[in-house]
Amino acid sequence: MSVFLKSLRDNRRGYLGWSVALTAVAAMYASFWPTLGQNPELTKAMDSYPQSLKEALNLQDMSKPENYLGTSVFGLLVPILLAVFAIAAGTKAIASDEEAGTLDLVLAHPVTRVKLALQRLLAIATALTLITGLMWLVVTALRGPSEFTSVSPGRILAVCVQLAFFGLFFASLAYAVGAWTGRKGLAIGAGAAVAVLAYLSDSFLPQVDGLKWIERFSPFEWYLGNEPLKNGISGTSLLIFAGLSAVFIALGTWRFNRRDVAV
Amino acid sequence: MVIQTENLRKRYGRGTEALKGLNLSVNEGEVFGFLGPNGAGKSTTIRILLDLLRPTSGTVSVLGQSPHGNAAMRQHIGYLAGDFVVNGRQSGHELLRYLGRLRGGVPQARIDELAALLDLDLSKKIGSLSKGNKQKVGVVQAFMHRPKLLILDEPTSGLDPFLQQQFVRLVREASANGQTVFMSSHVMSEVQQTCDRVGIIRAGELIAVEHINDLRAKAFRKVEVRFQAAVDLPNIAGVRDEHWDGNVWRAQLTGDADALIKAIAPHHVVDILSEEPELEELFFSYYQTGEEK
Ligand SMILES: Nc1ncnc2c1ncn2[C@@H]1O[C@H](COP(=O)(O)OP(=O)(O)OP(=O)(O)O)[C@@H](O)[C@H]1O
Ligand SMILES: [Mg+2]
Repeated sequence: MSVFLKSLRDNRRGYLGWSVALTAVAAMYASFWPTLGQNPELTKAMDSYPQSLKEALNLQDMSKPENYLGTSVFGLLVPILLAVFAIAAGTKAIASDEEAGTLDLVLAHPVTRVKLALQRLLAIATALTLITGLMWLVVTALRGPSEFTSVSPGRILAVCVQLAFFGLFFASLAYAVGAWTGRKGLAIGAGAAVAVLAYLSDSFLPQVDGLKWIERFSPFEWYLGNEPLKNGISGTSLLIFAGLSAVFIALGTWRFNRRDVAV
Repeated sequence: MVIQTENLRKRYGRGTEALKGLNLSVNEGEVFGFLGPNGAGKSTTIRILLDLLRPTSGTVSVLGQSPHGNAAMRQHIGYLAGDFVVNGRQSGHELLRYLGRLRGGVPQARIDELAALLDLDLSKKIGSLSKGNKQKVGVVQAFMHRPKLLILDEPTSGLDPFLQQQFVRLVREASANGQTVFMSSHVMSEVQQTCDRVGIIRAGELIAVEHINDLRAKAFRKVEVRFQAAVDLPNIAGVRDEHWDGNVWRAQLTGDADALIKAIAPHHVVDILSEEPELEELFFSYYQTGEEK
């Protein structure tokens, strides 16, 4: 487990920083609930928006806290930031290290490429658990002060778990492209492109006639589509995320184990 | 045989063929110098030995095994590249502890001994060290576990002359300890001081392998003899470019010194000076033409 522990140690500042920052964003939005969500003016103003825009922006009846939390807290900024973190972390696992020329030294040691890759991925999974775990604790602690006790801790946990899997998906994707090609730019580019497409195909694209189906293929849909804050964890969503991540990781690692390591 | 390659070829992508059928053998316990001009294929060969690159064709064996996917074999190898780069946001101690752990543990006393020999402060962040001091960290990690085989790719780049001397000492120590050293280098003095044999690679092919002593014999060295008074010397085998400067006779000598000694013996010799042969020029001739013996 040396590689795993070293990976955690090397990235400790980043992991802690992202945990605190993402949790702070979530906590900030959550604590606005009493002022924003229970504001009749705002609800009325929103009612006047066209239905398609509301769907595109994921705006729902804001008078229920689970809707408010699903839209503002867990709906946009938090998953996007988490995807950014995941893509950066997945890229760093192999591609960044390789481009910096620092991968050679470790691989000249008695550690297999597969072991190295998997232990670094495990460190990323740990970080995702840390980030979403802290978020769960803090948002749960805000239930009383911010008056959304009607949302149970279990439901908040559900959305946090789905968020973690959402992050794992992007980390695995960026990892796989980086491990396959050894190129940092490609890994980040692929991750960013998929994230943007995922967002569009869960917001604006389904509004286009004949493109409704595209929603079903969006990681945003897998993450929030079943409304975990109301309905709890969706096994299907977790399975899709886990399955695709496993495929990405397998492909990236397979290729990484076979190709030349660049200087 | 510690390293053996047969008809080793490596083509990068569809581009240059960096190795064109390399046949190399390095014996156990020897210090083998791997020399050649820039771009000859030294680093390519070395990275194949470490399984960082996969050969296009041909066979490789290192410590009697194929390097391919063979992590256990690397337990017995120490590797150092000339451009030693690591994440700078860690101290030397932290890095060495990690690398030691990957090898199943290296005694701290050994690390401290090497750091002291090289005058290296391991508590500093590596990013804050000068290039030469970074390279020292690389030297320590390569030597610390006393590997059976040291694979060094221009190991002293960036080290000052004093440290190059310390490095030479380390290589000799390793050699005396029975370890095998495979080393590419552009620094002839360190090659001359450490290597038993040298192989010369040019454009992806091994063009010569020589014992360093044979090379020495072939190389010219400057000799200077101070006589009591100028004398008449006959033609001496192996001597060229001779000239007098007062009572001092200077010339270049190649090969055996016996004829010269016998020729000057009848006269009163005040002093005699013979320099360490310069192999540099000899290598130049290999690098350029790649023929000659
Ligand atoms: N990743 C790569 N992709 C394509 N060509 C490469 C790559 N690495 C090396 N080469 C080419 O292979 C040849 C051999 O390079 P190599 O680095 O092995 O030379 P070298 O003997 O180590 O040279 P130097 O003394 O400059 O270190 C060169 O022509 C080089 O341009
Ligand atoms: Mg080189």
